[in-house]
Amino acid sequence: MRRLWRYLRPYQRTFWMSVAILPVISGLMLLQPYLLKVAIDRYVDHGDTSGLGRIATLFSLAVVGEFFAVYWQYYLTMVVAQHSLADLRVDLFAHLERLPQRYFDRNPVGRIVTRLTTDVDVLSEMFASGAMTIFMDALTLLGIVSIMLWIDWRLALVALSVVPVVIVTIDFFRKRARVTYRLIRERIARINSFLSEAISGMPVIQLFAHERASFAEFDEHNAAHRDANHLSNVYEAALFSIIEAVSSIAMALVVWYGSGQIVKGVVAFGTLVAFIEYIQKFFIPIRDFSTKYAVMQSAITAAERVFQLLDTPHEIVSPAAPRRVAADDPERGAVRFENVWFAYKGEDWVLRDVSLDVRPGETVAIVGATGSGKSTIIKLLGRSFDVKMGSVQVSGVDVREWDLAELRREIGIVLQDAFLFTGTLASNVTLGRAEVSDETLRATVRAVNLERFVSSLPLGYAQPIRERGNNLSAGQRQLLAFARALAYDPRILVLDEATSSVDAETEQLVQEALDRLLRGRTAIVIAHRLSTIERADRIVVLHHGVVREVGTHAELLALGQIYARLYELQYAGGRSNVGADATDDGASAGS
Amino acid sequence: MRRLWSYLARYRMRYLAGCLCLIATASLAMAIPVLLKRAVDSIQSSPDVATGARSAGFYAAIVIGIALVQGVVRTFSRFVIFNVGRDVEYDLRNDLFRHLERLPWPFYQSRPTGDLMSRLVNDISAVRMLLGPGVLNVLNTPVYYLYAVSIMVSIDPLLTVAALAPYPVMLLVVKHYSRRLMEGTLRVQEGLAEMSTLIQENVSGIHVVKAYVREQSEVERFRAMNVRFRDVALELGKARGMIAPVIRSVSALGILVVLWLGGRHVARGILTIGDLVAFMGYLHLLAWPTMALGWMLSILQRGRAAMKRLEELFSVEPDIADPAGVPTPDWAVTTVSLPVGASAATINGQAAAPHDGVQAGAAHANGSANGHRAAPPAVARGDVELRHVSFAYPGSKKLVLEDIDVHVPAGATVAIVGRAGAGKTSLLHLLPRLFDPTSGTVRIDGRDVREYALADLRRAIAFVPQDPFLFSTSLRANVAFARPELEHAADGEALVREAAGWAAVAGDIATFPRGYDTMVGERGITLSGGQKQRVTLARALLADAPILILDDALSSVDTQTEEHILHALEERRRGRTCILVAHRLSTVQDADLILVLDEGRIVARGDHASLLAQGGLYADLFQRQRLTAELEAI
Repeated sequence: MRRLWRYLRPYQRTFWMSVAILPVISGLMLLQPYLLKVAIDRYVDHGDTSGLGRIATLFSLAVVGEFFAVYWQYYLTMVVAQHSLADLRVDLFAHLERLPQRYFDRNPVGRIVTRLTTDVDVLSEMFASGAMTIFMDALTLLGIVSIMLWIDWRLALVALSVVPVVIVTIDFFRKRARVTYRLIRERIARINSFLSEAISGMPVIQLFAHERASFAEFDEHNAAHRDANHLSNVYEAALFSIIEAVSSIAMALVVWYGSGQIVKGVVAFGTLVAFIEYIQKFFIPIRDFSTKYAVMQSAITAAERVFQLLDTPHEIVSPAAPRRVAADDPERGAVRFENVWFAYKGEDWVLRDVSLDVRPGETVAIVGATGSGKSTIIKLLGRSFDVKMGSVQVSGVDVREWDLAELRREIGIVLQDAFLFTGTLASNVTLGRAEVSDETLRATVRAVNLERFVSSLPLGYAQPIRERGNNLSAGQRQLLAFARALAYDPRILVLDEATSSVDAETEQLVQEALDRLLRGRTAIVIAHRLSTIERADRIVVLHHGVVREVGTHAELLALGQIYARLYELQYAGGRSNVGADATDDGASAGS
Repeated sequence: MRRLWSYLARYRMRYLAGCLCLIATASLAMAIPVLLKRAVDSIQSSPDVATGARSAGFYAAIVIGIALVQGVVRTFSRFVIFNVGRDVEYDLRNDLFRHLERLPWPFYQSRPTGDLMSRLVNDISAVRMLLGPGVLNVLNTPVYYLYAVSIMVSIDPLLTVAALAPYPVMLLVVKHYSRRLMEGTLRVQEGLAEMSTLIQENVSGIHVVKAYVREQSEVERFRAMNVRFRDVALELGKARGMIAPVIRSVSALGILVVLWLGGRHVARGILTIGDLVAFMGYLHLLAWPTMALGWMLSILQRGRAAMKRLEELFSVEPDIADPAGVPTPDWAVTTVSLPVGASAATINGQAAAPHDGVQAGAAHANGSANGHRAAPPAVARGDVELRHVSFAYPGSKKLVLEDIDVHVPAGATVAIVGRAGAGKTSLLHLLPRLFDPTSGTVRIDGRDVREYALADLRRAIAFVPQDPFLFSTSLRANVAFARPELEHAADGEALVREAAGWAAVAGDIATFPRGYDTMVGERGITLSGGQKQRVTLARALLADAPILILDDALSSVDTQTEEHILHALEERRRGRTCILVAHRLSTVQDADLILVLDEGRIVARGDHASLLAQGGLYADLFQRQRLTAELEAI
């Protein structure tokens, strides 16, 4: 909660203003019964109506004042809440963007989204439901008690004699209600997770004729949830009814004792009426207390989870004093792996002592069977992960000494199975970079042979792209990925070729586009196409995480070892991928 | 709505009792202001001091008595009504889940999980709100008004009209704001959904975001979205903020009228101070129900809309179902059943799968003629035959299987090989009726699979799917999935261990600290792909069915372990029909029959030797496998 204050602080003037209104509300509210008392005792009871108009005016001013004060207090609170929570969300999002790949591999998407949406929303509900005023309610109660004591302390004591009952009751039920609330939350969560699993696993349930048992389990969760709610309904009903009853009893006691005093002439009628009003007002905050308390409880839990996300360390960050490379440095555009060892877990080495030297402007193809460690090379270059031993250098500087953003501007990593974002075709090429002019965009799209496709779209560049890009074919997605890279124009290009096969005509377009993309850059290609390999200056054969062969296509074929077999297996039999051996090894290496 | 009444009807006595208590509570509440008035009046009007105090005390005592009785009755009325709401929620949720369990796979492919979840959780809650707080307030308000207005009119008609004048205004204001509230809530929800999508995309596409250094611009995009959301939320806040001050000031305005007009009447001797007390009491009592009435309108609307969405789900008919005449399985019997309307929706707007089998038609005729047919036979041997089977996925015209004709005698082992996308998995899915063929018939033991009760058919087939789906329960429960009764049976443990042994996963399980009690998934351990596959295999082996189907079930298992498993399976396979899809030819070469599938057709069949001799796709595959093995060995 204290950390939440940091987000409120920029809006503290508004915040304190809303807090300052609270006593005004209490005061105006407390004034009304007192005016009643004065009206009755001074005028009505004496058959005098002369001052009634003035008191009614004061009363109506108090009512109108209260109306606006309550409204403004709420509105100002919401202004503070919505502004500071919006800031919190942006902070969370910005933090998320900087978290390492490892974090995203470990946490399900749904959970991450929940932190930024549902949990922050619970905090917003705390402000919106007025739970924050819980402390102010206590002040109001204190005000009512003092004014009652001030008007007539004996009558006040009689009225307040019920308060111990109220305290004991609330305490009794609050403790139980808290337990049942937690039970309810747990049980609805269990229903949710059971359902989401049962729905995705429904084919398995049906295949194994497990419906009866699954239903029985669901029924159990469902019944447990119902029972917890039944219990909480009983507590809530009892709490509500007891408070109502106690408030009636308090009024009866006041009338009882008060009537004796009136007869004796000690207490006036107006006092009695005012007391009845005060008692009514006394029980309103008490009635709301349990709801507000529950909201506060869940807000505290949500805040804990939200700040836990903010506390997750970034792990991979830019160094304090990054090294810069001069634009005309002869090393610019070179890539070097020096005795690199890497494992995702423990001693499970994925790369063993890999050394690799790529000169500026050179195209190097990396080939290897599934699980040879090809994809890991890409992940180390972009610092999705850091090496365990050895070093990776880009343009002559260790990647760990680069400024992260500059490193990633130096090397463009292209996964050819383009991940598409909701937006337009144009925004998916430029990825929202304003510096890409319309001209560049058009030139890029032309260069990767996508122009005809774009002009066939009803809205052209403004064509909306749907989530997951279901409206683009595999070939179009490959070309789009090239367009992205070309528009990005990196000095060093790292390309993971797509494994999905396309028809012959598209293949032709893809190859042309690739030619244009590679021109004038250093390129490291995880190759799946024979044409790419043949064009490479050098081929590096990775096998079980070790560099086993290096050379040109002809040299390696002549060698007749790993490459020769790989070639026969993956590339010689036409371009169709038979069997499962051409699947990307990225997924299996990462898990 | 008709459905809702049927659910409510089950609890009608309790609900009625609750409603009666509610009316009793309201009546008692209405007596209190009158009694307070009597007490105050008796002081003012009694001739001597002692009688005045005595009669005031008498009325006060009655008020206390009423408050106590009311406390009990009110408690009862509230929890009974709310609990019935929870009971109906429970019934509805159970029935909907039962219904979901009967809907076939294609249905789940066309519906996002989130949509189904939101119906089972949020929509049902909205219906419950309608039955609980909704009905409570709808009933309360007229009763309160009836009593209060008639008593107030009997005291002073003019004052009644004046004091209650703000109330209809409040009702209108609240109604207006609840509409704005609903619209605002909708917009806030849309904003939340929009933000969720962006976050979700950024999380799934984080590698692209990072590779192209788009973090900053994505944050800017999110910030802009967030600012829009903030403003929408503030708009909602404005509407929501009106409600509280309106309630507070309306009863205060009523009291102002009582003070000003009523005060004059008292001064002139038309009214007593006790009358004023009664008036103020009623004004307080009416404020909340009047306000609630405005709320109730939106709860009512939401409940009705939610019920409609539930109804839509209930009306989806399973188009892969038991043949006519098979009694509904006990777990599928809903607490409330309604006759199905003629307009029952079908999946994807497609007509139900054509049942062109003669037998299926005959069975249907039989079923309706006798009203009730002898229980269909169980699968005994496991003789599998596909006759001229063609298949296209629902909603697609492209045939993924074309004129498949094959006979697998009971006890034989058949392997299916072919490229990715050749139709191997689709073929396997037709056997346990995850899909029905578009034309042709699938027969087991000489009968169309559509003639068997679904549960019998599926119990006869132990299926190991390509994607090893496990549930987040214990490993024991996962292995015993097909026979849940074994989980707690005395000999269950031995059988579970035996199955795990055959699937070569027992050793792995032994290394987990909690052994078979180890939880799978988020709350437990993460299994490797190979381990998952072996657990799913153990699950199928424990099912002890006459037909065993392995759909590329050992792809993530290393060659050595696979050999071990195959060896163990040889023993288990004896007398059982086994159909397997595999990429490793070492897995398939001992099969009695190998089918080579290409683009939905069987292009070659025979045993390993004869297929090799034929050359073509099989020989090509074999050559590749040999190379891969060589590579591995280097």
